[in-house]
Amino acid sequence: MAEVLAEGYNVFDTAKSPSGTVKYLSAPADVIALIQSGKLSEHILLVQGGTTTFLAPALSMGALGVITMSGAPESHLGILSREFQTPCVMTAYLTSSESRYVVGATDPSHFDEIAKALDGRKVRLDCTDNEVGRVVADD
Amino acid sequence: MTTTEGKKATYKKRYEEGDDGLRFQDLTYTGNFVGLEPVTDGIKGDKMLKARAKSGVLEKVSKDDVLNGQFSIDELNDLNNYLAWNIWDVLVMRATEGVSGMIPRQEYEILAFMHEFYRWPEILRMTTNEVGPQGVMDIGASARREIGTKVNSVHDWCIGAVGFGMGRCGLLALEAIGPDDYVAESNEILKFMQRVLWGKRQDGYILNSQDRYRCRIHEEDFLEQLTAQVETLEPGSPKHGAFTQFNAATELLAFLHHYDNRLGLGDTGPYELPDGNLLILRDLFVNEEIYHWSDVSEDAKLPHAYTLAMIIDPEKMGLEEIRVNDISTTFTRPKNYIEAIIGGAVFAREKWDTPMGEVYPIKIDELGDHLGRVQQATLKLYTKTSKMCRRDLIWNGQYVYYIDMILPHLRKAGTYEKACRDYDLWEIDQRVSNYYYDITKRGFAQETVPSKIFSGAGYLPFSENADLRSSKGRWL
Repeated sequence: MAEVLAEGYNVFDTAKSPSGTVKYLSAPADVIALIQSGKLSEHILLVQGGTTTFLAPALSMGALGVITMSGAPESHLGILSREFQTPCVMTAYLTSSESRYVVGATDPSHFDEIAKALDGRKVRLDCTDNEVGRVVADD
Repeated sequence: MTTTEGKKATYKKRYEEGDDGLRFQDLTYTGNFVGLEPVTDGIKGDKMLKARAKSGVLEKVSKDDVLNGQFSIDELNDLNNYLAWNIWDVLVMRATEGVSGMIPRQEYEILAFMHEFYRWPEILRMTTNEVGPQGVMDIGASARREIGTKVNSVHDWCIGAVGFGMGRCGLLALEAIGPDDYVAESNEILKFMQRVLWGKRQDGYILNSQDRYRCRIHEEDFLEQLTAQVETLEPGSPKHGAFTQFNAATELLAFLHHYDNRLGLGDTGPYELPDGNLLILRDLFVNEEIYHWSDVSEDAKLPHAYTLAMIIDPEKMGLEEIRVNDISTTFTRPKNYIEAIIGGAVFAREKWDTPMGEVYPIKIDELGDHLGRVQQATLKLYTKTSKMCRRDLIWNGQYVYYIDMILPHLRKAGTYEKACRDYDLWEIDQRVSNYYYDITKRGFAQETVPSKIFSGAGYLPFSENADLRSSKGRWL
C-alpha cells in the first residue's frame, strides 16, 4: 500500500481520486499566477486556511483537488469543494509528525512543516472514507 | 463505486417523534448549563434546550404571542440560550477554518456584531412603528410565494442570533456592557426576529432546528409552478455536469460577493415530492446593488439572484439525515448529495424587487453562457478584492453584515431610505469605530470572541434583577 503522507477531515465521500503535484499557495498572487500559467489541472492545491475566498478562481476554473491545513467540512471551502465535487482533505496533518492544528493556538511552524513536506510531492487523494481523507504518495 | 452503494434511505425516521437524529459532530455544548448533561448537536440538542426552558417561547407559539409587544425576562433568557446553542450547532466546526488569506473575516465580524447591537434597535423600532407588528409578520410571509428573496432563513436568523446574540456576547467580552444593560433594546431585536420568522413559517415555530431542520415554507401551488420547469438529469451526463458546475460556480461567487459569509446563499426545503424524491430550492445572490464592488456583476450582466431547484433521490444516496439549517445551508449524511441529483431547474431574478411574474427560467442547455459570465465576475472580483487594503476589507465586510442582514426587511417595509436618511444607517457609530483599534489586541477578534461565541460561555443570561425597561444605566 502506498505511503499515507497526511490525513485530515474528508469533506465528502467520493470515488474520485485525483493525482497531481502539490502546489502550495500562500497569497492571492500565487492563485492568480497559477490560473494564468494554464497549469491548474496539473496540481493538488495546498492552502493554510479553510475558507472559500482565497481559492475562489481556482475552484471556479476546475481545481483537481485541495488540501487545507485548517477548516472542516462545514466551512465555506468544505461546502464549495463538495458542490464542485473537488476532493478535499481539510485540517491535514503529517502522519510523520506529532504537530496538530488547534484553533487559535497553532504556531506558524506547524503550517511551515506541512508546506515543506508536501509542496512539490506527487500525491493522490483518497476520499472514500466517510470521515478521514488521506494524502497518499504517488511518486 | 461510492461508499453509499446498497444502503437504504432511512431519513424519514428523523421525523418520528421519539427519534433523536444523528450526530454530525462529536463535540458537545455547555453554554449556560454548567453542571448539567452536555448538550448535543441536532434534533437531540433541540429537545434538550426545549426541556430546559423556563417559558413556552421555544414551543409552537400563537399569533397573539407574537404580536405581544415584548418578551418576559424568562423568555429572553430562553431565546438567548437557544440561539447560543443554535449558533454553536451550525458554526462550531467552522471555527476550525483559520485565516482566510484574503478577507479579515473575524475582524469584520466582531465589529459588525457590536455595531448591530448598538444601532439596529432604533432602526427596527422605527420600522415596526411604520408597518406595525402585523406588517413585520407580513414581511416574513412574503417569502412563501417568492424565490430569490433575501427574506430567508439566514437573514431572519441573523437579526436575533447575530445582532442580539453575538453582538451582546462581543460587547460583554469587551466589558463595554453588563449583563443587565440594554434589556429593552434586546427585546426590540428579538421581537422583530420572532415576528418575521413566525410569519414566514406559519407553523408556530421560528427556527428550522425546532422543526428537525426543515424549512418548508412555500405554498404547494407555488412549488408546483417551479417543479413544472424541472429537467431530468442523468448522473454523469453532460447536462448533470452543467447543472452542478453552475450551482457550484454561482455559489462561490455568492460567497465572494458577500465577503465569505453565507448571506449570498439561501436554501429552503426539503420538500417531499409525490414520487418520494426531495426538492431543495437554492437562492444564490450574485449581484447586490448596494455594494460598490457589485460593478463586476453589473459588467457581467448578472441578475440579482439565480434560484436552483434541485431534485434529490434519497434512495440513490441512502440518505440518513438531511438538515436545512438556520443559516440556509443543506447538509446531509452521507455528505455527498451531488451524485444523487436527478433533476434540476434554474431561474433568474433581475433585481431584488422584480415581480415574481417576471422571474424567468433558464434551460440547462443554455447555462454555459451564464457560467462564463459568473466565472468572469469571480475572477474580476477576486482581483479587485486582492488589491484592497486591510482597513477597506474590514469595513466592507462590516457593511455586508450590518446592512445586509436587515436590508431585505427594511426594503420590504419601505424603510431602507428612511433608515439611510434619518438614521444614518451607513455611518459608523463612534464606539464601534474606536473598537477597530481594540479588536486585534490580546487576540480579541481571533481568539477571545470566537471562543466565547462558539463555546456558548459568553452569552450571559439577564439576571433576576433585570428590568425590561432598562437601557444602559451607568458607564463605570
